[in-house]
Amino acid sequence: METDFLKISDLKKSFGTGEARQEVLRGMDFTVRKGEFCVLLGPSGSGKSTLLNIIGGIDTPDSGYISINGDKLEDMDEKQLTIYRRKHLGYVFQMYNLIPNLNVKENIEVGAYLSDKPLDVEEVLTTLGLQDHKYKYPNQLSGGQQQRVSIGRAVVKNPDILMCDEPTGALDYKTSKEILALIEDCNARYGTTVIMVTHNEAIKNMADHVVKLRDGVVRHNDINHNKIPASELDW
Amino acid sequence: MRNPLVKRIPKELASDWHKYLVIVIFMVLMIGVISGMYVGHDSMIAAINRGREELKIEDGSFELSERASEELLEAISSGEKADVRQYFIDKGISEADKEVAKAVEDELQKQVRTTIEDAVREQCAAYGITDEQMIQEQIDSAMEAQYDNALKEARNSEEFKEAVEDAYEEAHNAVIEEVDEKWNDIEDQYGLNDGDFHPVQITIYEDFYHNASEDNDNDGIEDATVRIFRKDSEINGASFIDGRAPESESEIAIDRMHADNVGVKIGDTITVDGRKFEIVGLLSYVHYLTLHENNTDLMFDAFGFDVAMLTGEAFDDLPSRLHYNYSYMYDVKPADKIEKADCADNLLKSLITQTLVYDNEIDDFLPEYLRQASNFAPTDLESDSAGTSIMCYILIAVIAFIFAITISNTIEKEASVIGTLRASGYSREELTVHYMSMPLIVTIAGAVIGNILGYTAFRKMAIYLYYNSYSMPECGIEWSPVALVKTTIIPLLLMFFINLFIIARKLQLSPLKFLRHDLAKNRRSKARRIPAWSFLRRFRIRILFQNMPNYAVLIFGVIFIELMLCFAFGLPDSLNHYGDRAADMVFADYQYMLMRYKDEDGNIIETSEPTAERFSSTSLLYPKTRSSVIDGMGSGGDESVTVYGIADDSTYVDIPGDLASGNVYVSSAFVSKFGLKNGDVITLHEEYENKSYEFTVAGITDYDGGIAVFMNNGSFAEVFDKKADGFSGYFSRNEITDIDAQDIAVVITTKDITKITNQLMHSMGGFMDIFKYTMVVLAAALIYLLAKIIIERNEHSISMVKILGFKNSEIGSLYITPTAVIVTVFSVISFVVGYFLMIWIFQAVMMQMDGYFAFYMTPVSMVLSVVYLLIGYAFVSVIDFIRIKKIPMDVALKNVE
Repeated sequence: METDFLKISDLKKSFGTGEARQEVLRGMDFTVRKGEFCVLLGPSGSGKSTLLNIIGGIDTPDSGYISINGDKLEDMDEKQLTIYRRKHLGYVFQMYNLIPNLNVKENIEVGAYLSDKPLDVEEVLTTLGLQDHKYKYPNQLSGGQQQRVSIGRAVVKNPDILMCDEPTGALDYKTSKEILALIEDCNARYGTTVIMVTHNEAIKNMADHVVKLRDGVVRHNDINHNKIPASELDW
Repeated sequence: MRNPLVKRIPKELASDWHKYLVIVIFMVLMIGVISGMYVGHDSMIAAINRGREELKIEDGSFELSERASEELLEAISSGEKADVRQYFIDKGISEADKEVAKAVEDELQKQVRTTIEDAVREQCAAYGITDEQMIQEQIDSAMEAQYDNALKEARNSEEFKEAVEDAYEEAHNAVIEEVDEKWNDIEDQYGLNDGDFHPVQITIYEDFYHNASEDNDNDGIEDATVRIFRKDSEINGASFIDGRAPESESEIAIDRMHADNVGVKIGDTITVDGRKFEIVGLLSYVHYLTLHENNTDLMFDAFGFDVAMLTGEAFDDLPSRLHYNYSYMYDVKPADKIEKADCADNLLKSLITQTLVYDNEIDDFLPEYLRQASNFAPTDLESDSAGTSIMCYILIAVIAFIFAITISNTIEKEASVIGTLRASGYSREELTVHYMSMPLIVTIAGAVIGNILGYTAFRKMAIYLYYNSYSMPECGIEWSPVALVKTTIIPLLLMFFINLFIIARKLQLSPLKFLRHDLAKNRRSKARRIPAWSFLRRFRIRILFQNMPNYAVLIFGVIFIELMLCFAFGLPDSLNHYGDRAADMVFADYQYMLMRYKDEDGNIIETSEPTAERFSSTSLLYPKTRSSVIDGMGSGGDESVTVYGIADDSTYVDIPGDLASGNVYVSSAFVSKFGLKNGDVITLHEEYENKSYEFTVAGITDYDGGIAVFMNNGSFAEVFDKKADGFSGYFSRNEITDIDAQDIAVVITTKDITKITNQLMHSMGGFMDIFKYTMVVLAAALIYLLAKIIIERNEHSISMVKILGFKNSEIGSLYITPTAVIVTVFSVISFVVGYFLMIWIFQAVMMQMDGYFAFYMTPVSMVLSVVYLLIGYAFVSVIDFIRIKKIPMDVALKNVE
């Protein structure tokens, strides 16, 4: 693994003004290596989603910076940020945000369209176990199936970084593990760097790198030398 | 790879088909009807203009009392004035010569007789003969023997010749003296002292006609006057709408409009001048687009007057008097109205003088540009487009409005998807294009179908309406750039830019805001306090507050609907109101416009009618500089203003007798239309001359019948350089019976005004019904769309309260009642807004037409326009309730966007 693929340096972010001002990120520093499965762990309000959004270029810090492969996000204008997201990032949200009037395959194609080096859509469908459902519409799928589609839409781009914001937050135990296994598989198979935000402590066990956040600062920044497969997770 | 988002578009269409169907119907109806009106209008105008070219419409005509000689026609063609002075001198000399010759001969014979008689008597006396009988015998025999020779001798004598010459010279001089003495009057009478005169060369065509009696049901009673022309006339041709030209002596082709009105058709037989003819064709003569029998008729009469075509033989056989009507074409076409007027003026001088010197008489002279029968319809067509313009402006506003709300609704609905796509790397431009494609496709579809219908079905309908009013020629399809721009290009551009503006503005928000559904610019930080009412009531109030922006949209929509309904009800009301107020539209029960104020003998035309009062009038133009608000299809140009010279202490028009020169009173219609006030200076100018006059508005006269200016008779004569005793006609309370009909140009009574409005109702009635029903349908469609949006936006909440256990009836009362209250309250308020907006629009549109009539709605229409909306809403709320019932509970539970 390369070092310092993603560098987060003294990142600060607050919301509101005056008395209502709330510092969400209060100087955050850590790096993520290429191909790493990184979990951002923390309770609600710890700033993990805000951090993820800033990494994803859809939110901006008040100070500090993020660099990817040496390119600082703060130097990028709106257009460059869009290209950055388009070329490097895949997004998986807790809410699947699928396009209701496109079927499974088409929803995945929405991601493929953005990439210069997309994966084969059929292959992704197979990997995600969606072959039998590829002509179904989102409202014909269960939550887990919808999240698979949302993962498919993100990974089909063959992104450098897969950003996952509580991807199992709305799913049951069994489905959650299936989804985590898929993300793990993508990480292993395509070498995609994964940054996953979760409040589920158990998930840290499958990660290469665990960053624990609390009150807007990094409490622990650990490399997990004993990671276990997702299928063996328990909570 | 093709953008997969493209695949959404047909699916989006299919899933929300009823919404898009309503929008498409909306667009198709509006674009179709309006473009149909425009295309029909343009096609008709083009057909008229083509007809003028192809059917060779005259530049004017004159009728003589006798058939013109070749020499006279040649002389008129040259455009030269005849030497009237010489004519009178020659005529005088010729008469004088006859008299002199007779007088000289009589005198000579008398003198020869006396000389012979004296010589015989002298001889008899020398011979001492005294018997008178014998002397008489001698005289008789001498007369017999010598008279002829003596007469001959006397005639040859120098003395006699001298005397004769002197007599002729004296007589000739007397004639010349007399002509010269009267020359000024003659010059004045025939307008011969015009330094600007230039000959206008023309080509003359015979266009003789008979005015025959027409009995179209063959019951022996005359039903109409029919003006019959020859089939082989070289000028003023006819367009055949149905059938063909007559080919045998028993065939006739008559005016299509007249045939429609009196109910005869091809194959029927009618009696003309006592002879039976079979109708073989229905035509429209290029110079009789409206059936004006006389050019001075205020309104045409398609029932009592007809024009027809016969073969040359049948024409020649007609017993009724032949009218020697000659049509002419200028060899060099005058470029504009001013030149036309100038040409007509010069030609008339030539015509008057030439007919005079060729001993013929002019019965009628009519330049084509003044011809009612060929100009009334095209001018009227222009004003017909006013309603279309109003509808067009409302259309554009409504379409813009619909799309603005549809787009912002879609964007709000899809906020999460947009946020995800943006976060995934879709650019703003890509999403802008994507979200713009849907409304653009719908508008283009609406526009294409609308235009197709506009050029087919609706065009036919418009044409049919024109055929219903006028004797129009056959009409093809004419490409109408105005229709395309106004009904298609402008809505498309408008939609494009509104979309672009709203979408681009919304997409400025960060992906995060979309993901969080945080689309409002300003969010209230604190909840509003509500009094301690019942829970459901407070819930309803909360829903009301929460949906404020939606209700704002609904209120705007209701204003549009009321505007549309005000137009639908107000237009016929305004016309009827105008007709009902006919009595106020005239100054007097009878208004006589005279041909001239002196009769042929130079005596002032007087009447014994005690209520008669003289007035003077002329027509000037007022520039419409303030009409730039809306650039519509109307006639534009300048407003025609009638200037009246009123008698001091007039009983008909209330203006002060001591009005200073240059000060005028203006009609209330003038004030309403142009917003004049006391002290304003208005500049009026001549239509055919480069001459203008300035007047100061000193007061307002309550007269809504037209755009008019009033001044004292004295000022009138002074300003317009008229004779002090001159005038134009009489106002009278009673009918005037002692003025020769030949001296009267036109009589205006309240009946005529009613006739005009009736004709207007007849012509526009069809349009108005279409407008009305289109507007009602569109209003219903609009409120359907608006109510749908409110329910759609609340789908999630409705689903949630269903889960919580609320019954459908309770949910209905929660979500429908606030809407019903808003619609009811605002339908009344919007009516007021729509009503005043309509007054304003009407005013702006009136600017493009000549004349003025104000927007008016009857109280019944006012109530109906609100009631229609409420009935429409009642239907929509039933649909809403069904919609609420159908919302599934899993909307709130399923995480599906």
